[in-house]
Amino acid sequence: MIKKILIANRGEIAVRIIRACREMGIETVAVYSEADREALHTKLADEAVCIGPAPSSESYLSMDRIISATIVTGADAIHPGFGFLSENSKFAELCEQCSITFIGPGSDVIARLGNKQEARNTMTAAGVPVIPGTAEPIYDVESGKEAAAKIGYPVIIKAALGGGGKGMRTAAVPEEFESSFLTAQKESQMAFGDHTMYIEHFVQRPRHIEFQILADSFGNVIHLGERDCSIQRNHQKMIEESPSAALDEKLRQKMGEAAVKAAKAAGYVNAGTIEFLLEKNNNFYFMEMNTRIQVEHPVTEWVTGIDLVKEQIRIADGRKLSYSQEDVHLTGHSIECRINAENPAKGFRPSPGMVKDMYLPGGKGIRIDSAIYSGYTIPPYYDSMVAKLIVWAKNRKEAIAKMRSALGEIIIEGIDTNVDYQYEIINHPDYISGDIDIEFIENIGTAVK
Amino acid sequence: MKLDNMFKKTKYSTLRRNEHKAESVRPEVPEGLLRKCNKCGAAIIAEDVKKDAYICPKCGGYFRMHAYRRIEFVTDEGSFKEWDRGLETKNPLEYKGYLEKLRGLKEKTGLDEAVITGKAEIDGIETVIGVCDGRFLMASMGEVVGEKIARAVERATKERLPVILFACSGGARMQEGITSLMQMAKTSAALKRHSDAGLLYISVLTDPTTGGVTASFAMLGDIILAEPKALIGFAGPRVIEQTIGQRLPKGFQSSEFLLEHGFLDGIVERSNLKGTLANILKLHADGGCSPENMQDILKKSLDTGTQTAAAQKTEPDGKEEPDAGQAKELSPWERVLRSRMQERPVGSDYIESLFTDFIEFHGDRLFKDDHAVIGGVARFCGMPVTVIAQAKGTNTKENIDRNFGMPSPEGYRKALRLMKQAEKFGRPVICFVDTPGAFCGLEAEERGQGEAIARNIYEMSSLKVPVLSVIIGEGGSGGALAMATADEVWMLENSVYSILSPEGFASILWKDSSKAKEAAKVMKLTAKDLCRLGVVEKVFEEPQNFSKENFEQVTGALRAEMARFLSEYKRMSKEELSEYRYMRFRNM
Repeated sequence: MIKKILIANRGEIAVRIIRACREMGIETVAVYSEADREALHTKLADEAVCIGPAPSSESYLSMDRIISATIVTGADAIHPGFGFLSENSKFAELCEQCSITFIGPGSDVIARLGNKQEARNTMTAAGVPVIPGTAEPIYDVESGKEAAAKIGYPVIIKAALGGGGKGMRTAAVPEEFESSFLTAQKESQMAFGDHTMYIEHFVQRPRHIEFQILADSFGNVIHLGERDCSIQRNHQKMIEESPSAALDEKLRQKMGEAAVKAAKAAGYVNAGTIEFLLEKNNNFYFMEMNTRIQVEHPVTEWVTGIDLVKEQIRIADGRKLSYSQEDVHLTGHSIECRINAENPAKGFRPSPGMVKDMYLPGGKGIRIDSAIYSGYTIPPYYDSMVAKLIVWAKNRKEAIAKMRSALGEIIIEGIDTNVDYQYEIINHPDYISGDIDIEFIENIGTAVK
Repeated sequence: MKLDNMFKKTKYSTLRRNEHKAESVRPEVPEGLLRKCNKCGAAIIAEDVKKDAYICPKCGGYFRMHAYRRIEFVTDEGSFKEWDRGLETKNPLEYKGYLEKLRGLKEKTGLDEAVITGKAEIDGIETVIGVCDGRFLMASMGEVVGEKIARAVERATKERLPVILFACSGGARMQEGITSLMQMAKTSAALKRHSDAGLLYISVLTDPTTGGVTASFAMLGDIILAEPKALIGFAGPRVIEQTIGQRLPKGFQSSEFLLEHGFLDGIVERSNLKGTLANILKLHADGGCSPENMQDILKKSLDTGTQTAAAQKTEPDGKEEPDAGQAKELSPWERVLRSRMQERPVGSDYIESLFTDFIEFHGDRLFKDDHAVIGGVARFCGMPVTVIAQAKGTNTKENIDRNFGMPSPEGYRKALRLMKQAEKFGRPVICFVDTPGAFCGLEAEERGQGEAIARNIYEMSSLKVPVLSVIIGEGGSGGALAMATADEVWMLENSVYSILSPEGFASILWKDSSKAKEAAKVMKLTAKDLCRLGVVEKVFEEPQNFSKENFEQVTGALRAEMARFLSEYKRMSKEELSEYRYMRFRNM
């Protein structure tokens, strides 16, 4: 029975976890760095332990200090949040060795899924689709062409030693293959002195679709539907929503089943996320599995009505899932915008500093997960995400309208934020129409000021 | 807004806590999972330390390594064969409880005694190795330790193998009294025989190396290496403090302190230790280079060398000026200025360009490591040679560190130590001369600058290996000669070599140092003049605006000539060599 949880994280996710604990009557211990003395999570927790100087390597990433803080405060579990040590198998193993409940999957599972090749192999074995490609190296056009036909066009030809786009070419149709292959191979020979090539199916302008799953230690696994996280800048998600405009009930069921299969194959326990790339023709491919709570978990919470953090704690406590697959229905539409302390006009340069004053919107269907307050100084050492604005409405159109209204109400003074940038995206006709893919930001880049 | 104690706490009941106490295991750190770094005091995960060669991941401090771990760490897997297990002390003082204590330690540590000896391979090269283990009475040297080391060294001498000893010891073993003291003599004597047989001994000092071990085998290496921040000294710091009633400065008796004071050849990070040992062993394994493969070397160097090889001239004649392209002949004073130019390549540039596998060795083993002299072992076209360069810096900061290329007595003594070592291992010596003069200062006089120079000239004159000196910049007086008592002396076209600086010359003879320009004219200090006088054998052309940019034009020619020199002189017998060198100076 978990009675006291140490939250090995900071910022809004630490606050989010503390809140879940408070509601469950579980005591909380916050850990904080010297730069986070005034942080909300430090103040809100029942106890707080300083674990070192500002740099994460000496505080939030310091395994031994966090373990020591856990033992000293008598906590019996650690919630790692996201980032920092959340997907560190060694940390999970240390917790196991010290009889501390790690709220997440077992260290072996984290290690296995953290290794890209091993994860891919596990999924292939379980029949979860992965991006088709050659397992063996290819050296000549003929065998390459044969392989490409099997894989399915368009294909991408990659140098085994490639990097930085060198020795990489696509071929949309078989007619293009020969010239693309030879160019790529020549480039590889020039750049890396090697002519070993691999061929992979080229997933063109896909959507990033991820499935939330929950698994207990009794072998029950359910999925909680998808999140569409295609709006990304430099692989950083900016806006997430559930459900995705691209999925119908049939595809959802198909992908959801694949996600459950993937989780089962990995022997997964606790909350996790399976990331897929979804092609325009509705083919989807496993990318990776995230073995932690995600930033964007609130959109799933809102459309399913399930509190994911509480479920995480229950599962870690050895209890059975409170829901079965039949209980899960996606109701309405939820969108999340990440609010970052950064300046989009200056190359998204982080903008730490004091929040002189702030006003945040509220009302029906508005949720704000944040760790800032008036007079709080955002330290420069950590991630620039300071708040998440989540809205819910009956359908996507209304949800967008609500998001537009809410973004328009936010006032944060003293620092620069990306609120106006998000506002532009929300108003973009392609976004509104739901016609988005992972290159969305790249393609509208110049249009948004 | 201040949030201190503003939020209500989570409600909890202590009653409920007790209810469940029995059912779950309280979190605790199991024995051995974490340990404390005794350098920085931080808690660290024991496994991390083990994985990272017993180095604290927090502060980088070095943990002491168990002997067998150490052997595993520096030798090829499975190559170690242990020697002389099972020797027992006779307890010479009949010290009460001593034998029981030893028995207990053997049981606890699984060790036989405080040192492990045997034979192993490092990168495929056979060597005798001995490693102290501090867990056994602080690896103090009793008769068993002394005996094991002496036997290992004797066997190395017989089998003509190098010896590597890892010292980590508190010193003599008190429980064995005078017998322990005698081990200092026993081990040293065995090492002396090993050395006289021309064999290599590398001593590696680890934390701590003190007392009778420092005062015997630890300090007798041909090459002495140490791990960073190890405590190394004769008397322990506490003893010294109590004796003199003063607090010792920070860093006193550390590896770094010893390096600065000339007692170490180098400090080697643990991660580089095996590689460094392998390099040193290799450089000493094929010391001999027969005249036959010298021909190959010559050819190789000519291939890799350059067409400009033809540019070097042995006979300067008025018509074909070295600076043929230049409009006019440079005056001697202009050459003096060029020899001092900041852009001129310095000693370290020559080492880098002409040699491979250079390992710098530090210290004179007496007082200091002089940064105005760089020396060590390297390969020239594959052949191991000893390289010594007078070192100027390339900027003001470096120049201050290198004392503007003016060696102190310690610099000359380091050079001599390395030359003697070259003689022992049959390596040719190649010197690069570039100094305004030997350092002129109070401390230099206190430590015998004159004696140091004299000693170098004296010893170099009869060194039993080929010696070549190249004057690459300023050849300032005795300070230059102390590294130029060679079989051949070569000069770069715009280098100078003289009894004194022109400024000094003018000031002594004419009481006016501003007449340096005139002095330069009469002193005959240019390469051409000196070649004519027979003081130098060869002059190498320099490109216009000589700098690192066009360096290869000079080193190409140098490389070719050096190969020629080595192939010629390596053929000569020891007697021929010293006779030749004797006559070279006898005739001046």
